[in-house]
Amino acid sequence: MFRGAFSIWRRDMLVLRRSLFSELLAVVAYPLTLYLAFGIGLKGYIADVEGVPYALFIAPGLISMTAVNAAFDESAWSMWFHRRVQHTIEEYRVNPITVYDIVVGKIMSGFCQGALKGVAVAVVIFLMTPFRFSFPHLLAYLVFIVFGSMIFSCLGTICGTTVDKPENLGRIQAVVIVPLIFMAGIFFPLSSYPAAILPIVRALPTTAIFEGARQALLRGTVTAGYAAILVVTAAASFALAVWIFNKKIEG
Amino acid sequence: MSTAITLHNITKRYGDLMAVDDFSLKVERGLIFGLLGPNGAGKTTLIRVLTTLLRPTAGDAVVEGRSVLTEGKEVRRLIGVVPQENNLDRYLTARENLALHARMHGMRPSDYNRTIDELLELTGLSGRQHDFPDTYSGGMQRRLVVARALVHKPRVLFLDEPTTGLDPQSRRAVWDYIQTLRATMTIFLTTHYMDEADLLCDRIVIMDHGRPLVDGNSSQLKEALAHSHLYDLEFRDGADRYEALLRGLPFVESLERSGNLFRLALTGEEALKPLMDAIGSEDIRKICLREPSLEDVFIELTGRKVRE
Repeated sequence: MFRGAFSIWRRDMLVLRRSLFSELLAVVAYPLTLYLAFGIGLKGYIADVEGVPYALFIAPGLISMTAVNAAFDESAWSMWFHRRVQHTIEEYRVNPITVYDIVVGKIMSGFCQGALKGVAVAVVIFLMTPFRFSFPHLLAYLVFIVFGSMIFSCLGTICGTTVDKPENLGRIQAVVIVPLIFMAGIFFPLSSYPAAILPIVRALPTTAIFEGARQALLRGTVTAGYAAILVVTAAASFALAVWIFNKKIEG
Repeated sequence: MSTAITLHNITKRYGDLMAVDDFSLKVERGLIFGLLGPNGAGKTTLIRVLTTLLRPTAGDAVVEGRSVLTEGKEVRRLIGVVPQENNLDRYLTARENLALHARMHGMRPSDYNRTIDELLELTGLSGRQHDFPDTYSGGMQRRLVVARALVHKPRVLFLDEPTTGLDPQSRRAVWDYIQTLRATMTIFLTTHYMDEADLLCDRIVIMDHGRPLVDGNSSQLKEALAHSHLYDLEFRDGADRYEALLRGLPFVESLERSGNLFRLALTGEEALKPLMDAIGSEDIRKICLREPSLEDVFIELTGRKVRE
């Protein structure tokens, strides 16, 4: 079962291994810059947020952001590249594997890239800054990262399947993905939102990922509402990714 | 002889466009079968249906006893596919490309490593097996795609225009390699190179507008045109004058000119004497009856108009 998915995942990991150092260097630079700019630059202006030092407040979000962004990027660009440039998806499809194998393989690769890059950023932030957390909280935090990476990997697969022009992939990222991430309170508390729109923001899967992950890492609590949103969104986005891929590929 | 491929009334429609129209066919096991047709005739659509990449609008096809509609995965286990465009993974070496294909077929390293060694040796790529396909010539890439399609020892090999874009040497290398496979599997080939079909195929179907037009081996198809009286006529001088004259003769059915050489079709044998009377003999360098080629058959059936 899922022999094809593991073959595709293994291929992606082999390719990643060949360029691991440059990939990690590139992926660490952006969140680390944000951390230094906001966490250190604004430290004198924002002492703490709801009792949490600002540098500590933004760190979990930056790690989560790296993970989900990497998951989205890998799935979207890889699917697009294999479908439109290399046409390797066609080669996969003339083998005795199923459409599920291809989608699951790509989602697994996206998830692993996300997890790996999130860990890399976490290690760098941990080593280079005073950010510390309680290790027993890590397990609860990983629950949010796993589901978050899975959701973004599915979204990436959907985009890579449906979008034919590469510039449109960049546009989706700029217009949909980045606002969804930044609106979810990585750099500010959700209490900053007007009361009227707060329920909408709280219902966003990205809020569930970032706010849920922050509470898990800093306080060790798993908020049931956020966890439920993530599980439902992950299941729905996976089903949608498989359905769309099937429809698109069958022509 | 048992049947490897059967098409039952396959129809494929894209909106208003009928790509394949009620196409039925049986291909016997062990043949090299050639499907010929101009661009847009429906060849690639048929191959995509047979390789389970496309669902037909109506009809079914059976490959080695398995239906492409209901047993797609089983069909894919039994076939090898060489697509029109190279779809090698440029981030994997040649050997890794073959190994990935083998793993997708559920083969273990102990099974596939030896096969890959043999295939790389046969295709002359052993020395470059750890290089990436981007560094290969077009001919080498094509040979690697063929090798990849054979890793799992398929019973039917589909080759969709396997030599398009290759130089003459590379084309011959691919042909030689295909010839070596003849004894071990059924080969279903599409091409619009007549020399390729003439050389390789045991049986040829020419199709156009989604329908089969003729079916037979190369000699039979040429024989069908033998009744048309084709002549090559070359003049020493005055070709323009003779062209005008020939075009005015009622028994000249068609005329093609290349410099001083004319290729003409007469209505019958009896037209030869009035032709000679009309043109005289003083400027004639050569006149000879021409055996029809497969290309003549193809053009006769599908017309001269260039397709988009």
